[in-house]
Amino acid sequence: MTPRKLWTLVRVAATFGFLCGVWLLFSADNGWLSILAGASCAALIALASYDTFIDEHEAGKNMVFPRLLPALAYPARLVAAMYSSSFATLRTLMTGSAAPRVVHFRTRLKSDLARVVLAEAITFTPGTIVIDLDEDHLIVHWLNSTTRHSRRAGETVKGRLESIIGGMWV
Amino acid sequence: MSQALDAVNLARDLAGMALCAVASVFAIAGTLGMLLQKDPYTRLQASSLVGTTATFSVLLAALVTAPSVAIAARMVVIIAFFLISNPTTTHIIAKYAWNSGIAPRTAPRARKPGAKVAGDDDD
Repeated sequence: MTPRKLWTLVRVAATFGFLCGVWLLFSADNGWLSILAGASCAALIALASYDTFIDEHEAGKNMVFPRLLPALAYPARLVAAMYSSSFATLRTLMTGSAAPRVVHFRTRLKSDLARVVLAEAITFTPGTIVIDLDEDHLIVHWLNSTTRHSRRAGETVKGRLESIIGGMWV
Repeated sequence: MSQALDAVNLARDLAGMALCAVASVFAIAGTLGMLLQKDPYTRLQASSLVGTTATFSVLLAALVTAPSVAIAARMVVIIAFFLISNPTTTHIIAKYAWNSGIAPRTAPRARKPGAKVAGDDDD
């Protein structure tokens, strides 16, 4: 089997597994008829849409599938970052000391999924909103700006989120 | 055994109340901030305290006070979807404002009065 065919098979299987998981989650029914119906529909949808779910060029190691341990720790780290930013934003709003600015910077992350997760994480932490994400280039509205220099702004806004996400995907 | 169970239930109730109190503080502050801010982007930032922190705290309170594992599992699913959908909607609103040509109000200088704005010489 050629690497290309093997990667196609992995993409179909991953899409099928994900869809089956979602089916079980939403149906909350472990009867054989329900599982058969879900698996049949998941197989059809996976065959039709695996290329949309996982791009062919995302074939590198940890481009799509995250490393397990960092992925398990990620939600707790994100929530900690969210509460930390929330208190900072609360203080800014109460004292009226906001210094809003739009900053542009790049991310070192290579995987499309990792970049999207980084953008989601930045927006999820109050005080920063990702306005646009184009390849590795992010445009962010930053409430408590301390610099206009793009690289320094990037280091401050991305904070530890980028290295945490970089631990899951490339 | 019964006393230990009571202690756990009490701790869960207290944690739930504390999280609801935190949610109330962020919800009030976020709403006030939204009314006081001048432009759509900073209003969106203020509203994220309500939409993100307050809502998340309430969901977390519901999780810790869930009466059964089945309900707790449902709460985890709801929180997982919230983690995905909340930043997406905020991003869509900000991107629409940006593409519509609404210029964000920007600070003329760095936050600390008298501090040099880093990047002045670098741009």
